[in-house]
Amino acid sequence: MIKLQKYFELAKCAGIEALEIYIVRNYSLGFSLFHGEIDSYTTNDSISLGARGIFNGKMGYAYSEKIDKSTPEFIIKNIVENAKNITSENKVSIFEGSKKYKKYNCYNKELDLIPVETKLNKLYELERKLKESDPRITEIGGVGYEETRGETILANSYGLRLSEKSNYYVFYAEAVAKDGEDTKTGYKTFLDCDFNKFDLDKFVEEVKDNTIKQLGGKPCKSKNYRAVLAPRVVSSLLSAMLNSTIAEEVQKHSSLFEGKLNTQVVSKKITISEKPLAHNIFFKGFDDEGVATYNKDIIKNGVLKTFLYNIETALKDGVQTTGNGYRSSSKSPVETGYNNIFLKPGKLSEEKMIGKVKNGIYIDSITGLHAGLNSQSGNFSLQATGFIIKDGKISDPVNLITVAGNLVKVFQDVTMVANNIELLTNATSVPSIAIKSIMVSGN
Amino acid sequence: MISKSQAIEILNAGLATGADFVEIFIEEKYNNNLSIDNDKIETISSGIIYGAGIRLLRDLRSVYGYTNDLSKKSLLTLASTLAASFQGERILEVKKLTKQKVKNVHTTSRHLNEVTKEEKISFITKISDEMKQFGDKIVRRIVSFGDNTQKIVIINSDGKIFEDTRERGRLYISALTSDKNGIESSGVGPGASKGFEYFEKEIDALALARNVCEVAIKKLTAKECPSGKMPVVIGNGFGGVIFHEACGHPLEASSVSKNLSVFANKLGQQIAAPVVTAIDDGTIVNEWGSNNIDDEGNKTQKTTLIKDGILVNYLIDNFNGRRMGMKGNGACRRQSYAFEPTSRMSNTYIAAGKSTVDEIIKTVKLGLYAKSLGGGSVNPTTGDFNFAADEAYMIRNGKIAEMVKGATLIGNGAEVLLNIDMVGNDIKLAQGMCGASSGSIPVDVGQPTIRVSEITVGGRGGALK
Repeated sequence: MIKLQKYFELAKCAGIEALEIYIVRNYSLGFSLFHGEIDSYTTNDSISLGARGIFNGKMGYAYSEKIDKSTPEFIIKNIVENAKNITSENKVSIFEGSKKYKKYNCYNKELDLIPVETKLNKLYELERKLKESDPRITEIGGVGYEETRGETILANSYGLRLSEKSNYYVFYAEAVAKDGEDTKTGYKTFLDCDFNKFDLDKFVEEVKDNTIKQLGGKPCKSKNYRAVLAPRVVSSLLSAMLNSTIAEEVQKHSSLFEGKLNTQVVSKKITISEKPLAHNIFFKGFDDEGVATYNKDIIKNGVLKTFLYNIETALKDGVQTTGNGYRSSSKSPVETGYNNIFLKPGKLSEEKMIGKVKNGIYIDSITGLHAGLNSQSGNFSLQATGFIIKDGKISDPVNLITVAGNLVKVFQDVTMVANNIELLTNATSVPSIAIKSIMVSGN
Repeated sequence: MISKSQAIEILNAGLATGADFVEIFIEEKYNNNLSIDNDKIETISSGIIYGAGIRLLRDLRSVYGYTNDLSKKSLLTLASTLAASFQGERILEVKKLTKQKVKNVHTTSRHLNEVTKEEKISFITKISDEMKQFGDKIVRRIVSFGDNTQKIVIINSDGKIFEDTRERGRLYISALTSDKNGIESSGVGPGASKGFEYFEKEIDALALARNVCEVAIKKLTAKECPSGKMPVVIGNGFGGVIFHEACGHPLEASSVSKNLSVFANKLGQQIAAPVVTAIDDGTIVNEWGSNNIDDEGNKTQKTTLIKDGILVNYLIDNFNGRRMGMKGNGACRRQSYAFEPTSRMSNTYIAAGKSTVDEIIKTVKLGLYAKSLGGGSVNPTTGDFNFAADEAYMIRNGKIAEMVKGATLIGNGAEVLLNIDMVGNDIKLAQGMCGASSGSIPVDVGQPTIRVSEITVGGRGGALK
């Protein structure tokens, strides 16, 4: 373990008012197969230290993966040097600690005890069954297993010491289906910390279906369609919209929700909550500034209830932090993030919802969000795949189309929310939704 | 860093169970990032990336592990853990290591890690100030400068040691505009494998900043792009991202060797229109995507991928090359020691043709001129791609007409390559970061202005008129 005393001593000598150290330790194991053989096998044991400190009222940052005798000096020297150059007048603070922290064990020891061979055999079985699932599945693009054990430690010069451990595994598979010259790929992941929860046959069936059903896909007619959006599509658009609930975006005038607190911003059918304390693998009892997290509604029945704050943005608005100070890694500064997002499900099954839409389009996937979305205006134009909805049923596959619209408008236009809630790898739990209209560009 | 005798011991531990190749990749990288947001320097970050990755190969199998603990004990444990995934007898033993000559062609006069933070700050502040003249419509000016110095050592069971130091800097300028019509943005990010002299003298950073502001302001009043199939003229420089996404990725051995690429088994075949010649060149002096050696020690190369429309080569790393019966051609790269390396692009571009830009525009009666593009992505198995236009205009009766915003180009790489029917003479490179299985790496994309006879354009402006 890293001895932290030296850091705090040096900081004091250098005139740093408060110092915070954030350490991430990671062990991982992963392997993938190709044609029945292990094609790649990776393992790692890594540690990374990020630190920040207040010098003359300014926050300086530094990090290192090189942990030896020279590290404390490098870190403290750079914190001081960087703080000296900061000209922002934002008030900064390092947190003394919350009164109480909620705990939940998201470390499953059992997973470590299962021999590597058992995990590997499961993967062989997955590849074999997927290959045999349909004659049109001509190739398995990759099947893999990865498991990660992580530990986060947060310590500061006020004496706060927090740590959290978690582990989980992921199975993923990509299948390639061919019919003549037509090639389609389908991909799926499964994430949990209980190895027994992985239902291999169900997973194979889903990957196969995802792939085969796209065969024969072609562009459809360009026009406005009534649409059903699959959970992963909803999740991507939702994450993009949530960016506008981040206080920093509001303060910098780049939020779509500036000035809209406590007003109706989307359809009444939409309730979005952040539940960092939900008992799943994404549980977090404290944020990356050491603030105890809590569950909250961000949008309730279409009304924007709160912006998300870290300590710095909260000080600026004269409010309390909402416990949303997160770092994207120990190398990044504290920004604002969220964890475990839930979109409240409705009562209808997806199938019934499609039935009610009658004629329209089912959007199964979208790509290109990083380029095709203007996060400032909310306008997007994205590559999509899906299916025509005809007479209340899924019919012809569609690909190489773009769907265009506006993020906020999509959630304003929601007509139905289904009950097929699914926890996705980006820590969002969302169902399918139906919307009034989306502009499709195809033929 | 570890000694020669320690390295030999570690390599031999990795070879104990029948691996036919073992490689240790050691990295120490110093990063510095600073940015100014409107007039405030809000965060400055400095840090060290440090660790070692060990790779074992046995026929068509690879195992990889990494750690930040570079003690002999830790690396020996890692090598033995990895070796335990093979069940065989030793077939190789390393006795001697010889340092290989690596010539640094990317020379620099003002090393980025020797320029003070104060000087870098005054540089970005000047750029940010230059943007003020555009008034209130510019609501946010962000200028950032990041640089890194990466020292690498590669030691392998062929008995070779390679050492190199890479230095890169990148400037990023963006402007956010807002008025009653909404919010728009534009940005530019020049970079080089070169010192500070590149940024202060060789590029005109102030002119770039002014242009960013002008485009972002113009976009406020631009109409939404119409949708439909139309001829598209794609501008030079970053327009090359089309080739990068739609054709470059599927030419990487990582997908070709497994038959997962649309271009697998097509060497010698016509895969593009005869006007298309495409090149990947990791040797261009001081270029952002260049290196002296790749991340397995092979010298980088200038590789012609497509010659007059005929597929002539792939981007190959040694490991995937085994499956293809071909040798690595200096295209093996990784973000850091935490990634197993694989075949990647460096500076990839479509070579210059003969047409002038005017000649190309003149041929289009009704279509789109995507002057510069944003990012995009591609499915390497199907070749389906998408990318967004950052600055685009309609072409009407052979003339550049009104600006349009929100255009997305989608299509299939294999089809678009065949549909390129004119190639301009104005070749230009542009810098970017490329993400794939071996991480995020600096690359150049590039091309002259080209014309594609038909692409599906997505936009919110209704049918094409």
